[in-house]
Amino acid sequence: MTRAEKIGLGVAAAGHVVLFGLLSVGFLATPNPISLQSKPIDVSLVDEVSLHSTSPNVLEAPAPSLAPDIGAPTDAPPPSLDASADLTPTPPKPQPETASKPAETNKPAPEKAAPKKPEKTKAPAKHETGKRSETKAPAKSQGSDARSESKKPRGSRLGDDFLKGITDSGKGKAETPRAETIGDAVVANLSDAIRRQVQPCANRVPIPGPGANAITTKLRIQMNRDGSLAARPQLRGQSGVNGENQRYARRVAELAMSAFIACAPYRLPDEYYEGGWEDIILNYKLPG
Amino acid sequence: MDLAVNMDAATMSPVALFLQADWVVKFVMLGLLLASIWTWAIIISFSYRLANMRKATRRFEREYERADDMDAFHRMRGDSDIAVARVFSAGVAEWRRSTKNRTVDREGTRERLATSMGAAVASEIDRLSDRLNILATVGSVAPFVGLFGTVWGIMRSFTAIAGEQNSSLAVVAPGIAEALFATAIGLFAAIPAVIAYNRFSHAINRTEARLNRFADGFHTTLSRQLEGGA
Repeated sequence: MTRAEKIGLGVAAAGHVVLFGLLSVGFLATPNPISLQSKPIDVSLVDEVSLHSTSPNVLEAPAPSLAPDIGAPTDAPPPSLDASADLTPTPPKPQPETASKPAETNKPAPEKAAPKKPEKTKAPAKHETGKRSETKAPAKSQGSDARSESKKPRGSRLGDDFLKGITDSGKGKAETPRAETIGDAVVANLSDAIRRQVQPCANRVPIPGPGANAITTKLRIQMNRDGSLAARPQLRGQSGVNGENQRYARRVAELAMSAFIACAPYRLPDEYYEGGWEDIILNYKLPG
Repeated sequence: MDLAVNMDAATMSPVALFLQADWVVKFVMLGLLLASIWTWAIIISFSYRLANMRKATRRFEREYERADDMDAFHRMRGDSDIAVARVFSAGVAEWRRSTKNRTVDREGTRERLATSMGAAVASEIDRLSDRLNILATVGSVAPFVGLFGTVWGIMRSFTAIAGEQNSSLAVVAPGIAEALFATAIGLFAAIPAVIAYNRFSHAINRTEARLNRFADGFHTTLSRQLEGGA
């Protein structure tokens, strides 16, 4: 190796070191295009889990019709005639106005006998019927002025007690049965919530083949209260299987189950555990 | 400019790309880097030698044209370490060997003079073009070596995809970037090598022609001397 070659070697090595050093400290580095853009925000297109039941409560008494049935409006008779004919203060036996009570007949624990008593009934279970009869009874047993007054109501007038049946009823049971608390809409939202939480795991699942994401797998998921799986997801059938993706059907089911296993535990509203997501059957499709 | 060494995979830092690579790709990268260094060493040294030689040859030819006495000129400049001086020395030596005896075979002496000076020119060109084959080799092979590193790295990336069962671009991209870096180094070494090889081949051809012209001129002078001396 001659002197010229030694010089050349030294210069070349030094030049390479300088060049790669400059590249290493970002001499020609392009500005990171990701950092120039605005930060992405998370957009969720699925529904929220509803926190309130939307299904009707059959235990609660239906709201009574507001206007008491008091007959057709009549012209008020002259008060003098009425007072002279019926001056004796004989309190008539109050008649239970069964017609004025709206559809309360199908209550779970109705006490039909209570309105029979003229005095105040202290029935502990259902006292709104008693109250109603009690308030109606003195109105009839009063003097002629009150009676004549009560005999000429206008058609649009509501009774004083028309809200009685609504405000303090339906407190009879502490616990409502499951079938009523968690309706179909809630279960659908729970399914959505579970699917949303499975999504990260399902995204990592490789699609077995073309048409595999057309298969809907019906899975039964049993969970503990802490959101972990109580049992392995069970296959309850598949739909969308056609001739093209038939050979992937079994694989799709396994992948769906493994995704559900991988993403446990799930965070779901606690109040919908019993009868809700403790044992839920949902349809699942692989993303893609 | 931020002077911190960026080890992030998203930047074009050669150190980071090298450190993340597979050992096969590392080996390819190192080899190509050495080839690039060696190529540039040859380019620099050859350019230096060629420029020196051109300057010295011009000065030698000017002095040769001015010189009246070939023996005196040979004593003065015959042992110079340049190609044209060695061709001149070969001619002079052959001349002395051929005209040592009383009877001189003129035709034979002319042939021997031409042959010996042609051999001297050929040996000088050989010495000069010694390293050029390295440039040719690097220029033609380095892209393939880099391509091999790239193919290997991409194969490895796809194996990693299969292993992680995740085909998102963030998983694939670093491996492919580091694999493509091998091809980049290969081209980085090959392009200067090819350019330098073509330029130096041309320069060597010109040098050979120049030496041959000098040898022919000297041969003409000696041949005239042979007739005059006889």
